[in-house]
Amino acid sequence: MRRRMPPFVLVCVFIFIGRLCAQSIAGVEIHGFATQGFLYSSNNNYLTMESSNGSAAWTDGAVTASDSLTEKLRAGIQLHMYQLGQLGGPRLQMDWASADYRINDHFGIRAGKVKTVLGLFNDSQDVDAIFLWTLLPQCSYPVDNKSFFLAHLGGEVYGGFSLGSRAGKLEYHGYAGYISLDLDGGFVKEASQSGLIFRNAPGGKTYGGDLRWHAPLKGLTVGSSADIEALDGTAPAGRLHVAPFLISAQYAQFTTGKFYFTGEYDRSPANPIVTLGPAIVSLPQDFRSYYAMGSYRILKKLQAGGYYSHFVNKSLDTSQPANYSKDRVISGRYDFNSYFYGKVEGHFLQGTALGYYAESNPTGLKPDSKMLAVKIGFSF
Amino acid sequence: MKTMRKIRCVLFLLVSLACCRAASAQDVVLVANKDVQVSGIANSDLRAIFLGSKTRFSDGSHAVPVTLKGGPIHEVFLKNHLGESSEDFRAQWRKSVFTGQGAMPKACDSEAAMIEYVSATSGAVGYVSRVPPEDAGKVKLLISVN
Repeated sequence: MRRRMPPFVLVCVFIFIGRLCAQSIAGVEIHGFATQGFLYSSNNNYLTMESSNGSAAWTDGAVTASDSLTEKLRAGIQLHMYQLGQLGGPRLQMDWASADYRINDHFGIRAGKVKTVLGLFNDSQDVDAIFLWTLLPQCSYPVDNKSFFLAHLGGEVYGGFSLGSRAGKLEYHGYAGYISLDLDGGFVKEASQSGLIFRNAPGGKTYGGDLRWHAPLKGLTVGSSADIEALDGTAPAGRLHVAPFLISAQYAQFTTGKFYFTGEYDRSPANPIVTLGPAIVSLPQDFRSYYAMGSYRILKKLQAGGYYSHFVNKSLDTSQPANYSKDRVISGRYDFNSYFYGKVEGHFLQGTALGYYAESNPTGLKPDSKMLAVKIGFSF
Repeated sequence: MKTMRKIRCVLFLLVSLACCRAASAQDVVLVANKDVQVSGIANSDLRAIFLGSKTRFSDGSHAVPVTLKGGPIHEVFLKNHLGESSEDFRAQWRKSVFTGQGAMPKACDSEAAMIEYVSATSGAVGYVSRVPPEDAGKVKLLISVN
């Protein structure tokens, strides 16, 4: 059953009303965003959308409220709704809700539902307004599962230290907590296609950290993240068990003038075990991915760029299209004003390892596809 | 005749260049609440305070950054003191806000409102094109130290 979501205009109206109301609530800051996307692909249906016919079933909207209770203590919450083809729906999700106590610039603590810092963009991957890209590199930030990776229930410590004017600055994050799959997300959808229909979201413990060095060379950041997580879930037809496994990410980012360059390498070897009736199936995975991207601000309101995203499952035959995904992307963005923007992106996809679902491609998948992605957005 | 024309062209170019330099050299005045103890601030500290990675002045007192909503003075401040464009500045704050890592600085509609807010808010630091004589006693002027 496909569930309809209020169209983009309604989401904008909702956010506008929220904004107007917010102005009367002293001290509480209200921000929000809404986006409407469109996908058209030459072959295959992407991200559970009927993209081969052109599909606009791609809407996102969120509202954030936060308040500084004291000099050191701040509390906030972000509510989010999304529709991505058959994923998402009218269910209001809590992206994050936390209390943040910053003792000083070297040490602070957040508790509640906290965004997970992993790689360069994991914690900000839902904030479309800050990116040139319509879709972030899917090898590292798959949009169909972003709500799973985005945040954890638990706590985080964070801070930064200056290493002196000649050595730059170090920034750190360390966290621990509990993560759970999104019942409306991609992993649960995939599991349901094999008969494992979860009524309660599988979840497990997670802990990890991120260390990044802001080099004395202005604009250069280099960093590394590690995250250990586990998953367990029970469905009427069987069980899912993923023993604790490590996700690692190494990245660098450089901004100079109107140019921006980024690269990241991620690896996540895991061994999910699925029990379906009497059958116990082991699904070994060794996901390795990297991307390299660059962009240039042509005019104050106009940006253009491109990236290459590469993903392989090394534990399987990497010559098979089902086990790799390579995506060459060119992208442009125009900011109409401080609030509204539009994006256009061309994708040249090879391989079918990411973003494709059997249910939306009943006649099978072709190995290559070209895709046009367009998005308009509003943020305040 | 041709030589005279060339000389005029060169003179015109030199005058134009000088005007451009004068325009780019135009800067803002840094203002702070009168309870702020520091008298000077490095651009690196100013950048850290206005981007939210630092919440205190060098003497340890709490810093409250205040911006203008937009306009040429806002652009000059961002470019000269933070090394940022207004688009990048906005994007960085959006990231902080939507990831729950920070709250956007108070943004004032006008320089007069900026002076009023800075004068009334402990630890506030902002910028204006000039401080009118009648407001001189309301705020403290900060020196940019590099």
